[in-house]
Amino acid sequence: MSIAVAPAVVLERSVPMAGAVELVLSHPPSAVAVGPGQFFQLAVSAPHTILRRPYSAAWSDPAGGRIGFIFNVVGTGSAWLAARDEGDELDLLGPLGRGFDLEGQRPAICVAGGLGVAVFPGVVQALIARGRNVIVLQGARTAAQLLPASRFPGADVHVATDDGSAGHRGSVVDLFSNLGEGQSGGIDILTCGPTPMLTALIDVAHRQAIPLSDIQVALETPMGCGIGTCLGCAAPRAAGGYFLTCQDGPCVRADRIEWELMTDGFHG
Amino acid sequence: MASMAERPDLKVDLGRGLHLRSPVIVASGTFGYGFDAPQVDRAALGAIVSKGTTLRPHEGNAPIRIAETPSGMLNAIGLQNPGVDHVAHVYAPQWATWDLPVIVNVAGDSVDEYVAVARRLNGVPGVAGLELNISCPNVQSGLQFGVDPVLAAEVTHAVRAVTELPLIVKLTPNVTDIVAVARAVEDAGADAVSAINTYVGMAIDVRRRRPIISRGSGGLSGAAIKPLALHAVWQLAAEVHIPVVGVGGIMTPGDALEFLLAGATAVQLGTVNYVRPQAAAEIHDGIAAYMVQHGLTDMRALPIRSVSVLTHV
Ligand SMILES: Cc1cc2nc3c(=O)[nH]c(=O)nc-3n(C[C@H](O)[C@H](O)[C@H](O)COP(=O)(O)OP(=O)(O)OC[C@H]3O[C@@H](n4cnc5c(N)ncnc54)[C@H](O)[C@@H]3O)c2cc1C
Ligand SMILES: Cc1cc2nc3c(=O)[nH]c(=O)nc-3n(C[C@H](O)[C@H](O)[C@H](O)COP(=O)(O)O)c2cc1C
Ligand code: FES
Repeated sequence: MSIAVAPAVVLERSVPMAGAVELVLSHPPSAVAVGPGQFFQLAVSAPHTILRRPYSAAWSDPAGGRIGFIFNVVGTGSAWLAARDEGDELDLLGPLGRGFDLEGQRPAICVAGGLGVAVFPGVVQALIARGRNVIVLQGARTAAQLLPASRFPGADVHVATDDGSAGHRGSVVDLFSNLGEGQSGGIDILTCGPTPMLTALIDVAHRQAIPLSDIQVALETPMGCGIGTCLGCAAPRAAGGYFLTCQDGPCVRADRIEWELMTDGFHG
Repeated sequence: MASMAERPDLKVDLGRGLHLRSPVIVASGTFGYGFDAPQVDRAALGAIVSKGTTLRPHEGNAPIRIAETPSGMLNAIGLQNPGVDHVAHVYAPQWATWDLPVIVNVAGDSVDEYVAVARRLNGVPGVAGLELNISCPNVQSGLQFGVDPVLAAEVTHAVRAVTELPLIVKLTPNVTDIVAVARAVEDAGADAVSAINTYVGMAIDVRRRRPIISRGSGGLSGAAIKPLALHAVWQLAAEVHIPVVGVGGIMTPGDALEFLLAGATAVQLGTVNYVRPQAAAEIHDGIAAYMVQHGLTDMRALPIRSVSVLTHV
């Protein structure tokens, strides 16, 4: 696997769920082996922007020559990306960082909050391909903002919405809490979502005596370079000091993180 | 593409034997210790400047450390680095095997700390030079070394006394009179100056009613600062007699040429390395193409005003 800057053409643009866009791009040849949970730095040419924007590959199909990204519009860069259309060329740097560790045979629970679900189609597919039992727990504000369960073939999907328009009314962490009860130990937990959701999940894990080393988190921090040179993506390390999200992560075991110091970088 | 016969000579001389094959240098803090960013074409580079290095290891500041601003970015990394011993023991031996000089950017919070770091690196194979980052606050006065000509000269003089290495002093632009500081460090024995380090700035998250960078302020870099940096170089080139290395907002070959025409002997690329790793090669080739187009065979012919650069030998 080698990290490279490569052009990629937009093959398809669609709306996978309310408020999100999915871009299917031609697969950069250098990125043959994109690990589930790895990310790319996408160049944006919006006026007055300068940095690339980090996005997890939602899924990757090197044999079919396609790679997908799912994102929402939160600012200038994502708005520019959302306005790309079929035939437009993008500039990708990647694949970057460490993805999820999918080794083992235990059942896996994927816990996704909001746009955190974007990383999971490829992760779930890879887990199923390894013959593992997979449960997907997905939370969103409303039913329309859920990625359809059909995107997780072979997995057992449960949903939660803030307004109760689908599944459990409340948070995805409640779902996890109910499901996890009595299961402590013997499961792998993979999660991605807003920091308050992650910290709530860690609280449940503490209460249910689930070892934090069984939980892998896909972290999001602001990023400058994505390749370990700017030191801008620091996250607090349990052992003291900081690790770099772009190199030591974005997927890290929860016991490596100093949760007391995890600031909510973005989601307020 | 220029043929061999007309390929211009891009060599530059920063003094005290620091001859670079190319005027394109990667700036401190944007290239780590030279081991990352394999996408950057080493052949285009004249030198690498390392991350700011202190006497003891530093963990750096709490997040959030960076934020994008219009055509630029703010950073407050807090000098996260493994300390000079690690650099001397682990990194320098690897640099010694490269055909590319590595200049160590030195930081500290007292004259003694700068001196201790410089002493530790003197004579270490693989270390081609020092760049003093004098934008650091002095614990004694609370002032940054680089804002006061007397303090700046004091630290330069003290480091000069303990090292044989080529010594570049990196100026901060957060001063009223950058020329006065440059003259002071020239007199104190600097072989070259680099200009400039980042401009102090900030950004506020209006929704959450707090500064975005956890430290409040940060250093502004990127395209946004280019006209400011260029003006600093223009002023300096006319007033000091040692080489001036231009840095600040260089993104394209045209940007680099502006600095060289303003009188810079070489240029450093910072923020652009994060965004376009191919920029170093494009800028190198762009300078070469410009020289061919204008029939120039020597980098010293580039400045548009006559500048007298006397390099220390
Ligand atoms: C490793 C990694 C993987 C990511 N994968 C995805 C993904 O698959 N899908 C997706 O939609 N997003 C993903 N993100 C988040 C995405 O990078 C940001 O939403 C994007 O950079 C915002 O750019 P912008 O120019 O639109 O917003 P800006 O104009 O830069 O910011 C606008 C607002 O968005 C907030 N914001 C900035 N960065 C983030 C962030 N990382 N998360 C949340 N809010 C942010 C800012 O605080 C600000 O309030 C990922 C981030 C990381 C670090
Ligand atoms: C994230 C980051 C870290 C930096 N770290 C250092 C440093 O350790 N020492 C130093 O002298 N300059 C440091 N700089 C300043 C750059 O070397 C350069 O002077 C500045 O960024 C302006 O150039 P640019 O606009 O091309 O980035 C840093 C800049 C950035 C963006
Ligand atoms: S984003 Fe630059 S070091 Fe991680």
